[in-house]
Amino acid sequence: MLLIECPNCGPRDETEYHYGGEAHVPYPEDPSQLSDKEWAEYLFYRSNPKGLLAERWAHTTGCRRWFNVLRDTVTYEIKAVYAIGEPRPALQADPPQHPRGGTR
Amino acid sequence: MADQLLTDITRFRRSPLARLHDRMTAASVTGARDVALREIPFLNMVGIRVRPGSAAAEALAAVAEVPLPAAHGAVTGDPDGVAVVWQGPDEFLLVSQDETVVPLELTETADREPGALISLSTHPLTTQLCRALAGHQESGQVVDLSANRTTLELSGHCARAVLEKGCHLDLHPRVFEVGTAVSTTLGPVQVILWRTAERTWRIMPRASFAEYVAHWLMDAMTEFASSEVP
Amino acid sequence: MADLLPEHPDFLWRNPDPKPSYDAVIIGGGGHGLATAYFLASRHGMTNIAVLERGWLAGGNMARNTAIIRSNYLWDESAAIYEHSLKLWEQLPEELEYDFLFSQRGVLNLAHTLGDVRESVRRVNANVLNGVDAEWVTPEQVKELCPIINIGDDIRYPVMGATYQARAGIAKHDHVAWAFARKCDELGVDIIQNCEVTGFLKDGNRVTGVETSRGTIHAGKVGLCGAGHSSVLAELAGFRLPIQSHPLQALVSELHEPVHPTVVMSNHVHVYVSQAHKGELVMGAGVDAYNGYGQRGAFHVIEEQMAAAVELFPIFTRAHVLRTWGGIVDVTLDASPVVSKSPVDQLYVNCGWGTGGFKGTPSAGYTFAHTIANDEAHPLNEPFSLERFETGVLIDEHGAAAVAH
Repeated sequence: MLLIECPNCGPRDETEYHYGGEAHVPYPEDPSQLSDKEWAEYLFYRSNPKGLLAERWAHTTGCRRWFNVLRDTVTYEIKAVYAIGEPRPALQADPPQHPRGGTR
Repeated sequence: MADQLLTDITRFRRSPLARLHDRMTAASVTGARDVALREIPFLNMVGIRVRPGSAAAEALAAVAEVPLPAAHGAVTGDPDGVAVVWQGPDEFLLVSQDETVVPLELTETADREPGALISLSTHPLTTQLCRALAGHQESGQVVDLSANRTTLELSGHCARAVLEKGCHLDLHPRVFEVGTAVSTTLGPVQVILWRTAERTWRIMPRASFAEYVAHWLMDAMTEFASSEVP
Repeated sequence: MADLLPEHPDFLWRNPDPKPSYDAVIIGGGGHGLATAYFLASRHGMTNIAVLERGWLAGGNMARNTAIIRSNYLWDESAAIYEHSLKLWEQLPEELEYDFLFSQRGVLNLAHTLGDVRESVRRVNANVLNGVDAEWVTPEQVKELCPIINIGDDIRYPVMGATYQARAGIAKHDHVAWAFARKCDELGVDIIQNCEVTGFLKDGNRVTGVETSRGTIHAGKVGLCGAGHSSVLAELAGFRLPIQSHPLQALVSELHEPVHPTVVMSNHVHVYVSQAHKGELVMGAGVDAYNGYGQRGAFHVIEEQMAAAVELFPIFTRAHVLRTWGGIVDVTLDASPVVSKSPVDQLYVNCGWGTGGFKGTPSAGYTFAHTIANDEAHPLNEPFSLERFETGVLIDEHGAAAVAH
């Protein structure tokens, strides 16, 4: 069970939130100007990293506000929580490389 | 018939838990492990969106005669009078007493222009709050949400134990002081959970989930009707 | 001490060192990778090939699925490929000379609302038109097919009927992998375990080999069968995939006498369950909401499906959750797979099977092998190309993909 610290309400279990997928994907300025390929990119393609992912969460059973989270998709460790509109934070140290081999 | 205007709003009101009042009374436990459950029906609830510190916010607080709470968990005012629960950085829920006297403008039968009424709420305080907000450039919101939720009151020595069966938050008194209210879940249901006294909690689910919550609570209370197993 | 041990059973495949080059390399030694290699070798005469597995053979999703086999999908394109798969399942025990206990015990997809009923009847009709065995059954018939199910009215979402595919069923997933692996090895395919691909060699836009934890391997063609790790591989190769990797959990109970004769799935109350030959109840439901490569999820997902299961099957209150685990499922937005050429020449990608990859194992292997060998899709996987995300010709199987999405 992830424990996520809502910027407004404090730490709550993941069951209080709704996942919003990858963060920092802006809606296209003018969708009508995009090619089919570019529009498909926007609709269907998102990062899927094995490691740090900047993602959005909404505290649906609490304050209902959205916020951003930087989380490791392997360890599920939350590295940062920051506001919508803020840029993805640079972490102080390089995150460790995940060990190679095995079903990890 | 055409000249008669119905202003007695109590005649057709039914609270979401009216059907279960007797069962809730029967489910209550007395003695050392007491816990009781009742509905407090028809409380007035007003959803307020306004930027704290703005002139509009000040105006609303002035009408309510209660300041807006400043942070998560905070409640201002009096649960038996007018109280305001913090919902978000710019969102509040004002909870006040039922009022069955309908605002004058709603009782007038003369023709009026569309939009002439500041609010269709039957509650005078809500109408006044609307009027106060309308007087400011600042955008905001005052909405009568009284029908959105109902209020359950759980009290007694074992009330906290009952809640802890389905609430993930730390409800211990050193963390969850009297006068604290938060939005969270009880079991699978979203509720506002408000500790109004040492051993008294208000649980405010949305109306359509109220029966489920009442059954859930009554089921959770059953254990305390027997003595504790050592 | 060694002399006290019984004689070691026959190894089913060799463990060779990788050669410096192969005609084709398949990345991913799970069900799909092994099936692909098998069909490349047996149908296309490509035996100078290798399967590279970063862990142990079939230790990824192939070890973690709930082994359900069926072909009752809605759209023509899906019905075709899954039914092709089911027909292959029916002949594979003989072809692979391995009894992996494929048991055609049927599958019931329950309906609990009028909306469910309409969608279900529609799907039954679509199935019948596509030559897939399917029928609509009433609650009473559901009870006949599965006596332990609760068709009473006094539950939150009563059973209003179900679709039934009689030829559907389950198999022993590990044995399926071993069956393919053994045949691959017999045909000369090298199965290389503990071999993780760390990069791709390219000549312009053409793949020419892979860098691995066991050295460089040149290859004329490369097929990606990495399931939940497909995006990791694609990124190494310089392109993106329209998938998201999520944890998918499953669980087993302790062993019981046979009580559950078929496979039951319910989208609406969100659980599916079968009983394996050994006696354990095998259950699962939906993915954990967030992206995850951890092969684990949170317990509330298990609790919720247990609540659904005990209401549908009251007798299960006697059972216990013995073990839970998770896999990494690569999910597409239309809940249909990608079996396709990629933006890189001679590099092919099989992914996006999401929560329903096991049943597609034979057909994924068959069509992917064809695609690799001919540098062109087989008619069955042609609709499942990457291009569909650009053309908009999506194949939305969220309903038929059942619970898991």
